[in-house]
Amino acid sequence: MALSTGARTNGSGGATVAQRLQKELMDIMMKPTPGITAFPDDENMSRWTATIDGPESTPYENLVFKLSMEFGATYPYAPPTVLFKTPIYHPNVDFSGRICLDILKDKWSAVYNIGTVLLSLQSLLGEPNNSSPLNGQAAELWDKDMDEFKRLVLARHKTPEELDAAGL
Amino acid sequence: MDHATLVFASVFPVPSLSHTTPTPVATPNLGYTEPGASFGSPHAADAAVTPRRAVRRNFAWSTATRFLSLPRDLDKAPRRPRRPPDVDEALDYLIVGEGTGQDHEEGIADWYANEARLHFANHVRQGLTEVWDKDVEVGNAWRVLEDTQRVLAQVQNLYLQPFYDHILPFIEQAAANITIRASKSNDNLEAETVEAAKRKFEREIHAIFAHSLPVGRFSKTLSYMFYDAACKLFRLQVRLDGIAHVVPDHTDTKKVRRRMMLLLVGLNRIGLGQDEAQRALAYAMDKLLDTYIASHYLKVDWYTKQSITSQLRAWIENGFIPLAELILECLKCDPASIPPLQRKQWQEMALTRLGRARVEDLFDFVTNWDRSLGAVLDLKEYLRLDGAKEHLKGSFSRQVSRRLLHPGATTTYILNVYIYIIRAFNKLEPKGVILQSVARPIRRYLKEREDTARIIIASLLIDLNDEASVKAASTGELSFEIASEMSKPFTHSEDADDEASWNDMNWQPSPYDASPEYKKSKVEDVIFFLLTLWDRDDFINELKNILGDHLLKCQDPEFQKEIRLLELIKIRLGEDKLQACEVMLRDVLESRRINETIRKASDQPQDQTPQTPEALGPRTPRPRRIGPSTPLITTPPGPALNAQILSSFFWPILRDETFRVPAQIESLQQDYESRFERIKGMRKLRWMNALGDSRITLEFDDRTEDFDHLTPWQVSVVYAFQPQPGEESTSKAKSKGQAKSEGITRNAEQLEEMLSMDEALVHQALAFWVGKSVLREVAPHTYAVIERLDSSTKDSDAAAAAQEIAEVQAAQSTTVKSQADLLNERKDVYMSFITGMLTNQGNLPVMRVLMMMRMMVQGGFPFGAEEVRALLGEMEGAGKVVPLGGDVWGIRK
Repeated sequence: MALSTGARTNGSGGATVAQRLQKELMDIMMKPTPGITAFPDDENMSRWTATIDGPESTPYENLVFKLSMEFGATYPYAPPTVLFKTPIYHPNVDFSGRICLDILKDKWSAVYNIGTVLLSLQSLLGEPNNSSPLNGQAAELWDKDMDEFKRLVLARHKTPEELDAAGL
Repeated sequence: MDHATLVFASVFPVPSLSHTTPTPVATPNLGYTEPGASFGSPHAADAAVTPRRAVRRNFAWSTATRFLSLPRDLDKAPRRPRRPPDVDEALDYLIVGEGTGQDHEEGIADWYANEARLHFANHVRQGLTEVWDKDVEVGNAWRVLEDTQRVLAQVQNLYLQPFYDHILPFIEQAAANITIRASKSNDNLEAETVEAAKRKFEREIHAIFAHSLPVGRFSKTLSYMFYDAACKLFRLQVRLDGIAHVVPDHTDTKKVRRRMMLLLVGLNRIGLGQDEAQRALAYAMDKLLDTYIASHYLKVDWYTKQSITSQLRAWIENGFIPLAELILECLKCDPASIPPLQRKQWQEMALTRLGRARVEDLFDFVTNWDRSLGAVLDLKEYLRLDGAKEHLKGSFSRQVSRRLLHPGATTTYILNVYIYIIRAFNKLEPKGVILQSVARPIRRYLKEREDTARIIIASLLIDLNDEASVKAASTGELSFEIASEMSKPFTHSEDADDEASWNDMNWQPSPYDASPEYKKSKVEDVIFFLLTLWDRDDFINELKNILGDHLLKCQDPEFQKEIRLLELIKIRLGEDKLQACEVMLRDVLESRRINETIRKASDQPQDQTPQTPEALGPRTPRPRRIGPSTPLITTPPGPALNAQILSSFFWPILRDETFRVPAQIESLQQDYESRFERIKGMRKLRWMNALGDSRITLEFDDRTEDFDHLTPWQVSVVYAFQPQPGEESTSKAKSKGQAKSEGITRNAEQLEEMLSMDEALVHQALAFWVGKSVLREVAPHTYAVIERLDSSTKDSDAAAAAQEIAEVQAAQSTTVKSQADLLNERKDVYMSFITGMLTNQGNLPVMRVLMMMRMMVQGGFPFGAEEVRALLGEMEGAGKVVPLGGDVWGIRK
């Protein structure tokens, strides 16, 4: 049922995208990675919500981030659109959650999948690419004033519950 | 005149009451009070104005009334003499001459009417009241009516005669005078006046009669009379109050008809044939119609299976309507013939009643299909009438939900009835719209039943020519009807699209109650309806499971039935989805060939006669086509092994307990495996020991027994009681020394260890062998071989008890994994699904979780809300999730 719905909405390539995504979902479920989960939003498999835990010994430790992922009809030949839903203070993420990460842009390859994207994002949290920041202030503070950076991270962060309450 | 009437009359002067006694001739006229006026009444004044006329009138009145007075005794009514001249004169004076009633004065005609009324009240009514005061018994109805009619007719004659003889001529004369006076000789006017006077009097008499009878009772009696007459005429057996009232067959219908006509004409003559009688007739005819429809004339035609509506129509046209017309004619009703439109309406009314009567029992007709074809054909006619379809659908649905869709009905029964319904309603309305709507609740209900799919598919596999399976069908687990449907030749109409075919001369529009999208499926056989109960995919999954189990257990080396079934289902459901089933079938067929090849190869070098083949094993591993399987035979000449090679990818998940098979078998398996690899180009076999089927011969000290259709673990367990190397001597010595009838003793733990077998399997196998009197439990969980069978009751009791256990356990074990097993096995995956869902989507209700699982889990999530709740409960125990109330669950933070 899910497949046929997908096929109708997504055009000719939809069925295979949905199949691929269902398989990825199955893989994630069979071999869950600690600190990373993802799940489709509805029977139309093209939108997912993912949750990653902030890596230990980084400013994001003990924080939980939600992301939205959207897969186009050409996935996996084109990267998914990934956004942070949880407000995050990070050199490579702007205030509307857009992410600057090469593998989500020109470095994308069809061998990547949801799991690898989320892993990359998790490691991006601990190792920002300060050479091409979306948030210049954050990049600067990361290098110069870690305490202030941490303060700003915590100030900006909201827990999923707070987000739900804010209707996001 | 009774006292009360007199008292009443003294206050309210009623001429009719006060005039009765004619004034005696001798009485002097006092000049004050006129006859007919009370003393001091307002009439007194009038009387005073014309005293002379009054005296004369009074005198004439006296003479006339005396002459006209009615005799007290009916029977002695004397023939009235010719009018004496004085009376003649008096009447002439009163009617024609000056004495004509003026103003308030009473005319002689009115007086006579009153006289008749009083006479009736005083002398006749009593007798009638006696008859009519109490309920009229059914048996007496005719007599009472006839007596009443006779009496009233007699009385009427008595009253009318003097009126006609003595009063009318004068009225005629008076009318003539008036005409002359009006100088218009108009005979018509004259005749009219006479006629009017006559009618008026008759009407008054009839009113008296009518009022003398209790209206309701008379009408009912009359109605019964009509009904009874009609029943006799049509020879209907009538039941009253549950007592069979047998109409004697010798009743002469001609006599009945004559008697009824006489009575009716008589009643009409005395004025009782008017509205009241017509109403009674209508009531009787209504009842007659019901009686006729319920009668033996219109009972369902169980033998020739014809519709009886034509008989009903013919009866309405040739029996019912003519009778009504006859009666109406007797009653002198105005339009004595029934207009065509009404005839048609009566036809329809009769048809409607017949239809309704049939619909009430439709469920019974359906369950007795197809002997009840006649009844269904009757209904077919009925369905054309307004509102009939709705009535039928509503009534039948109620019958179905009350009598079929309840837990007391077995699934097989419901399936059978559903098949009857399909067949019957196809006859009833070939377009299938009604079927669709009445079948909907049944289909929904069948889908909810767990065993529906199993019974359907298993029933499809019954061989009708095979007595054993037919016998099994009668036990209720299988539907004989499905099997017989299956054996019918399959007709598949090739017409591409009926609706667009211009050459279809039998085309009919869909019925008005069909929905706009309604399209009748072209394949209309029963199997189609059953196979479309579920989504195609769901059904095929179920089919796979059942077919897998069936193939592994099947004893027919040709698999003819299975091949046929698969072909038939392919035609109906399309080939693409049935690939797995086809592969399964090919696997078992191919296994046979491979077995032969391998055995031939192995026979020659080993010179081993494959005495007992018949050992099947099954099942495979992940890669493409690898086979496995097991079997065993532990007969002394050496065991033989047949394998079934299954392509695991296509088979349902099969049970896969591992345990050690007897060494001999194991070596056979290795041998087989190596040969197979040689034939099949290095493909690997994975043995699934749990699925085999074995036959062994056990030799005891005192007996030898053969066992058939054993599971491999049963064989392995009993084989473990063979003396092991080094063990032999001790046990032999022991048994000899103690002269006991026991062989080697082992306990359950030992066996588990020796065979690496699951505890449950070991116990099951032990119970089986105890049940067969092969083993005996010598101490708790310790068993010994019964080498010598004595007739000790202890053994046989234990055997009987164990056999029961073994049977129960055997019934539970199937080759295909059960739902519960599957759930258990994949629990981890499911739980991680739930975790992922709740983490990312927030808190969700159980139903939403279930829905997502069904859509997201690859390969489907064949469970329901209960299982999801159980999983959530388990996860709650592990501290992963928390219930948030209202069936909503969330991740534990």
